[in-house]
Amino acid sequence: MRTSFKRELGLVGVAALLIIIVLPCLNAFTAEENWLHVSDFTINVYGKYLCYAMLAISVDLLWGYTGLLSLGQALFFSLGGYMMGMYLMRMIGSLGQYKMPIPDFLVFLGWSNLPYIWKPFSSFAFAMTMAVLLPGVLSGIFGYLAFRSRIRGVYFAILTQALTYAACLLFFRNSLLLGGNNGFTDFKFVLGHDLREPATQRGLYIITGVALLLVYLLCKWLTTTKFGKVQRAIRDSENRVLFSGYSTANFKLFVFVLASLIASLGGVLYVPQVGIINPSEMEPEKSLEAVVWVAVGGRGTLIGPIMGAFAVNAMKSWATRAYPDLWLMFLGLTFILVTLFMPKGIVGLPAQLGVLKRRFWPAKKIENPVANQPAPDAIKEEPLAKAD
Amino acid sequence: MKNSFPKLLVLTVALTLTNRVLAQDTVKVGVLHSLSGTMAISETSLRDVLLFAFDEINNAGGIKVGDKSYKIDPVIVDGASNWPLFAEKAKELLEQDKVAVTFGCWTSVSRKSVLPVFEKDNGLLFYPVQFEGEEQSENVVYTAEAVNQQATPAVDYLLAQGKKKFYLIGTDYVYPQTTDLILYKYLLLHGVPEANIGGGFRKDDSGKVISAGKYVPFGYTDFQQIVADIKQFAASGDACVINTINGDSNVPFFKEIVAAGLTPSDCPVVSFSLAEDELRSMPTKDMVGELGCWTYFMSLKTPENKDFLKRWNGWLTTEDHPGVVKEKRAVDSPMVLSYDGVYLWKEAVEKAGTFDVDAVRKVLDSGDISFEGPGGKITVQPSQYTTKNVYIGETRANGQFKIIKSFDQVPGEPWMLKKLDADLAAQGK
Amino acid sequence: MGWSFGSTLLFKVMKSAFKPFCYCLLMLCCLRTNAAPAPETASTNVVRQELAQVILSTGTEQQKLLNELADSGSKLANDVLTAWTMEEVYLYVASDGSKVPVLLEDQQDADGKARAIRIIDGQFLKDADGKDLRFGDSDLNTADTDMRLRSSIQQALDTLALSNPDPDARFSAVNKLGNSQKEIYIPILQSRLAREKISYVKKAINEAIASLQLNDTNPAVQIAAVQQLAALNSMGSLDNLNQLAANASNSPQLAKEIKRTVSSINEHIGWVNFFGTIFHGISLGSILLVVALGLAITFGLMGIINMAHGEMIAVGAYTSYVVQNIFGTGFAFHITLPFSIFSKPIAFGLILPGLNATGWFYQSYFLFAIPLSFIMAALAGLVLERAVIQFLYRRPLESLLATWGVSLVMQQMFRMVFGANNVQVNSPNWLLGHFTIDDVSFGYNRVFVIGFAILIVIGTWLLLSKTPLGLLIRAVMQNRSMASCMGVRTTRVNMMTFAFGSGLAGLAGAFLSQIGNVGPSLGQGYIVDSFMTVVVGGVGSIIGTVCSALSIGTGDQVLQQLTGSPVTGKIVVLVCIILFLQWKPGGLFAIRSRSLD
Repeated sequence: MRTSFKRELGLVGVAALLIIIVLPCLNAFTAEENWLHVSDFTINVYGKYLCYAMLAISVDLLWGYTGLLSLGQALFFSLGGYMMGMYLMRMIGSLGQYKMPIPDFLVFLGWSNLPYIWKPFSSFAFAMTMAVLLPGVLSGIFGYLAFRSRIRGVYFAILTQALTYAACLLFFRNSLLLGGNNGFTDFKFVLGHDLREPATQRGLYIITGVALLLVYLLCKWLTTTKFGKVQRAIRDSENRVLFSGYSTANFKLFVFVLASLIASLGGVLYVPQVGIINPSEMEPEKSLEAVVWVAVGGRGTLIGPIMGAFAVNAMKSWATRAYPDLWLMFLGLTFILVTLFMPKGIVGLPAQLGVLKRRFWPAKKIENPVANQPAPDAIKEEPLAKAD
Repeated sequence: MKNSFPKLLVLTVALTLTNRVLAQDTVKVGVLHSLSGTMAISETSLRDVLLFAFDEINNAGGIKVGDKSYKIDPVIVDGASNWPLFAEKAKELLEQDKVAVTFGCWTSVSRKSVLPVFEKDNGLLFYPVQFEGEEQSENVVYTAEAVNQQATPAVDYLLAQGKKKFYLIGTDYVYPQTTDLILYKYLLLHGVPEANIGGGFRKDDSGKVISAGKYVPFGYTDFQQIVADIKQFAASGDACVINTINGDSNVPFFKEIVAAGLTPSDCPVVSFSLAEDELRSMPTKDMVGELGCWTYFMSLKTPENKDFLKRWNGWLTTEDHPGVVKEKRAVDSPMVLSYDGVYLWKEAVEKAGTFDVDAVRKVLDSGDISFEGPGGKITVQPSQYTTKNVYIGETRANGQFKIIKSFDQVPGEPWMLKKLDADLAAQGK
Repeated sequence: MGWSFGSTLLFKVMKSAFKPFCYCLLMLCCLRTNAAPAPETASTNVVRQELAQVILSTGTEQQKLLNELADSGSKLANDVLTAWTMEEVYLYVASDGSKVPVLLEDQQDADGKARAIRIIDGQFLKDADGKDLRFGDSDLNTADTDMRLRSSIQQALDTLALSNPDPDARFSAVNKLGNSQKEIYIPILQSRLAREKISYVKKAINEAIASLQLNDTNPAVQIAAVQQLAALNSMGSLDNLNQLAANASNSPQLAKEIKRTVSSINEHIGWVNFFGTIFHGISLGSILLVVALGLAITFGLMGIINMAHGEMIAVGAYTSYVVQNIFGTGFAFHITLPFSIFSKPIAFGLILPGLNATGWFYQSYFLFAIPLSFIMAALAGLVLERAVIQFLYRRPLESLLATWGVSLVMQQMFRMVFGANNVQVNSPNWLLGHFTIDDVSFGYNRVFVIGFAILIVIGTWLLLSKTPLGLLIRAVMQNRSMASCMGVRTTRVNMMTFAFGSGLAGLAGAFLSQIGNVGPSLGQGYIVDSFMTVVVGGVGSIIGTVCSALSIGTGDQVLQQLTGSPVTGKIVVLVCIILFLQWKPGGLFAIRSRSLD
C-alpha cells in the first residue's frame, strides 16, 4: 500500500509538472510553426477538461468513497459558474451590444436600472463568497434533510436528480433575471485582465491546474485520515458504522457539502475559460455525464475521475468532428463496454490485463494467488431491499 | 497501482496536432450545426443543404480568386446542442482549421455563445435562422429574417383581415420574449387595446410592461390548459394566436388545438418557427389554413425555385455523404437562407479577390452583393442584415404553404425595440 | 372530490333546466315570424349551376351567389363548398380555354389518379372519345380561395349547417353566427330554434340570438338579452357585455343587469376552469401512469435503473409511425456510414411496400399499431436484457451507466433510420375532436388515454397477481437466489419480466404518438418524470405508481392554473416531491421489510 501510494504521488507530480508548467511554457515561449508549440486552443480546451476533472472528483468523493450516488453535482458546478458569470457580466460595463451599463439581456427584457440582486456582484469578493455560500447552504439544507431521513442508494440518486431538474427549470425562466435560456456570454474582463488575451487564458489555465492539484491533495489527505476510513466504512456497510456509534448522517453531510464546494470551484474556473454559462449545464444529463467520467476513469480512486474526465471529453472533442453523425454511438458503446468489462475503469485496466495475461500465458510460479481475486476494496452494491 | 495518465495525455495532444494537413487549392469552410441533441431536429437539414451548395460550387469549378480556382473543403463539426461545445468548436474551426468562413448556428444562444470567439479571432459567420434582431456584429452576416421581415408583416396581414384579439404564446427564451415584446408595442401602436392582447403580462416596479404573452419551457408537451385559455379568449370571435413556440412543442400544441376544435376560420394561428421541414411532422390535414410567414416557401412558382428544387432532388438521389437522409425531404426558409449565404459569400470573395475576412467584409458592407436565390433576390445591407422578399402563406393539407401575400424587398431592421419606443413616444403612448 | 363534482354538476343541471322555461315567449315569437321551411326545395340542377358559377366568379357577384346558395339549404352545396375550402375543387381547362370546376373521385387507381366529376352536372369528365379522364392531385390547379373568401364561404356553410343533420355541426354553426355581430342572422336563427330538438343546440341558438340582440336599439330587448345570457352562462358574450358596459348611454337598469351578468358568468368560468383542471390533471396523470408503469416493473420490481426506458417508449412510437406508413404509401430508409470498403461507402436500406389503404381501413391502423408497439418494444427489451442487463443484476447503480449508454446508442439509431426530424403520425379520426358537458370540454384522445391507462393497469395487476407467471415474477423479484433454489428458472423469468416492462413502455409510446411528437429524443422528455412517479409511489408497488401518477398530474395542473405559469407549477411539484420523500422516504406505499439494506 505504502509503495503504491508513493508511486501514485510520484506520477501525479510528473503529470502536474507537465500540465501546470510544461504545457503553458510551450504555449507561451515557442513559435507557432514549431512542432512543439501548444496552441491557445489546446490550452483552452485542456483548461475546460481540468474544470470537468474537479466536477468528477466531487462525484467520486461521494460515490466512490462514501457510496452516495449524486445525480445532481452539475447543479453545484453551475451555481459556482453562475456566481462567477454574474461578476463577469458586471465587468462588461457598457461594452455590450446596447452600450448600456446593465447586461444586454436585461435591456431587451425592458429593464433600464440594475435589479437589486445584481448590484453587489460588481465585487469579485462578493461573487466568490456567494460561490461558496450558495452551493454550500443548498447542499447543507438538502443533505441535512435527506440524511436525516436516511435516504440512500437509488432514492438519493433520484432526489438529487429532481433537485437539479427543478433548478434547471427555474433558471430557464427569464423572469429570474439570470438570462434565461441564453444565460451569460460575451464576457470581456476578469479582475482587469482582458479575457480575449491568450495570456489571460493561460493564467486561468494555470490557476485551474493548481486548484485541481490542491483539491486532489486535500482529498488524498482526507482519505488517509480516520475520517476517510469512516467514509469508506459507510460506503461498505453503513449499518455497521451506525451500530458502532458513529453518526453517519453528519459524516455524509460533511462530505456532501465538501463535494458541492469542489464542484462549485470547478464551475467558477470553468466559466471564464468557456465563455458561457446557461441552464443547460444543469440538465440531468450533465450530472449523469460526470458520473460516467468517474466510472470510465475508475471510481474509489482519486486519479481515476481525473483520467475519466480527460479521456471521455477528449474523445468527445475528437469524435464530434471526425464522426459527427456517429459519435453518440461510440460514446454510448463505450459506456456499455466499460460498465460490463471494466468495472474498475481505466485505473483498473492494467490489473485486469495482468489477470488476462496470466490466464493465457501463465507465469511459471504464481507468487500471489490472491491476485486473481477481485481487489479487496471492490465495491459491492447490494440489490434493493425486498420483503423477505 | 499503475496508471496510464501521461500516455493518455500524449495521445490527446497528438490527436489535436494531427489536424493540420492542408490539401492543394482548397479552401476550408466551417459548418457548425447540432447534429445530435435536441436541436438536431432542425439543424441537420441545414448541414445537408450546405453540402449541396458546396458540391454544386465545386462541380462548377469552385471559387475563382485571382487566376486560381479553389474547391470548397467543408469542415463539419457537431455542436451537439451543447452551447459550451459550440464555443469550443468555433474556436477549433477558427484557430486550428483556420476556416475562411463558417455557416452555422440555429438558436440565439448558440450564436451568442460563439459570437465572442468570432469577434476575438476575427472570423466570419453566416447566420440563417429567423431571430429577434437586437444585435449587430461585424463578424456575423445575418441572412436570417429579422422581426420586421416576419413577425410584423404577419401582424399587418392579420389586422387587415379584421382580427381584433391577439393571443401571444411562445417558448421561454430570448427570441419569443423579444418578438412578443416588439409585437405588443407594435399592436399598441396600431390601436389594439391592451385588453385584447392575450397571454398575460409581466410588469416592472414602475408598471411598465417588460414581458407579454404566455411562455412554456423547451420541450413542453402539456397544452391542455393553455388551449382551454385560448378557447375562452377566442370565444368572442375575431381572435388569432401568434405562436413563437420553438420546434418540438408545436406538435402537441397543434394536436391540442385540433382536438379542442379551434379551426383556422375561427381563430387562425400564425407560427414563426414552423416551416415546411417542421410541418412534415405536424398533423397538417387538420391544420389547413393556419398561417406562416417566411422569406421563402417551397411552393414558390418562380423559375429559380423550380430549378433549385430540381437540382436539390437530383443531388439527393446521387449524393453519398454519410448521414444525409434521402426520404421525404422538404426545403424551407432557413435552408434556403443557408444556401443563399454560401453564394453571397462566394460572390463577395470573388469580388474581393481574396479570402481575407476584412477584405471580404468590406465588399459585403458595400451593399452591392446580392444573389438571385430560390426565394427571390437577396442583398447584403451595410448593417450586414439582408434585404429580401417576405411571403405570407397558409398551410395546406400536403404540408406546403399557399402564398397569399408577398412584400417585395424588405430591408432587415436590427433595432426594432428602439424604433417602436420612439414611434410610441411620438404618438404619446 | 367525487361527491363535490357530483353535487355541483347536479346544481348546474338544475340551473340550466330553467332555460327553456324563461324563454318560451321568445320561442313563440320565433314560431310566428318565420316558419317557412327553406331546405331541399330548390332543385338540384339550379344548385349545381350556381355552384359552378360561384367558383368561377369573383367579387360581389360571388358574394351574391354564395348568399343564394346559403339559403338553398342543399346538402350538395354544403359538400361542394366544404371541398372548396379544403382545396379539393379543381379547375379543368377545356380545349376551348374555358374553365370547368371539377371534383376528384375518392377512389384512386394504381397510379394515384382518379376520375373527375363535373360540378355543373355531376357527370364524369370525358375526353373526345368518350373515355373517362383521370387525374392525380398535382395534374390540375385547385380553385383558389383566400382567407376572406373562405370566411364568406364559411358563413354560407354556417347558414347551410343550421340544417345539417349532425347536431355538432349545427352547434358550431350557431356559435359562429352568434359571434358574427350581424343582426341579419336573428330571424334565421329563430326559425331554426323552432325546429331544433337537441337541447345543447337549442341553448346555443338562444345564446347566439341574445348575443346578437345586445346590439339592438331597444333597451328592453337589450335587458332581456342580458338576462338571457346570464341564465345561459354565456362565456362567449363576455367581451360583448364588457363592451356594452363601457357604453355611457346605458340606462341604470341595463348597467346593473350587465354587472350582475358579468359576475355570474365569471363565476361560471371559475367552475369550468375548476372541473377542466381536474380533468386535465387526471389525463396528465394517466399519461404519467402509462409512461411510468413499464418503469415500475423494470425499476420498481427488478431494481434496474433503466435509463433506456425513454427509448423503449420511442420504439413504441416509431412502431406506430411505421405501421401507419405501411397502411399508407409504404416505408423506406437508407443509411450511408462514414466508413468505406474498397473505397465504396458502406450503405444499406430497407423498403417496405404500403397497403395504400383508405377510409376506415386506414383509420384502423392504430388498432394494429397498439399490439405491435408492445411486441416491438418487448423484443427490444429482450435483446437489451440478454446483451447488457443480465450481467448487472448485482450492481443496480451501474445498470444506470450501461443503460444510459444504450439510450445514447438507440437515439442515434433512430436518427439514422428515421432522420433527425420528428416524424408525422396522424391521429385516426375517431381520436380527434371533443365533447362538452356544460362548457367543460373533454378531448376524445384524452378520454382515450384515461380509459387505456385503466385497462393496462388492470391488465398488469391481473398478470402479476392472478397468473402463474405473475407468481414466478414476484418470487424472483423478491429473492432471486431463493427462487432459484426452489427450482424457478430465474434467467427466463428475468427475461420475461424485463420484456414485459419494456413492452408496457412501447404501449406508452403508441399513445404518446397521438398527443405529442415522435422524434429521436422523445423518450428523454419523460425519463425524469417517470422515475419521480415510481419513487414517489414507492418502489415495487403498482398501486403506489397509480396513486402517485394521479396526484402528480393533478397537482401539476392545479398549480399551473393557480400560478398561471406552466413552469412554476412544475418546479413547485418537484420541490414538493423532494420534501415529501424526506417525510416518507419509502414513497406512498413503502414495502415493509425487516431486512437491513
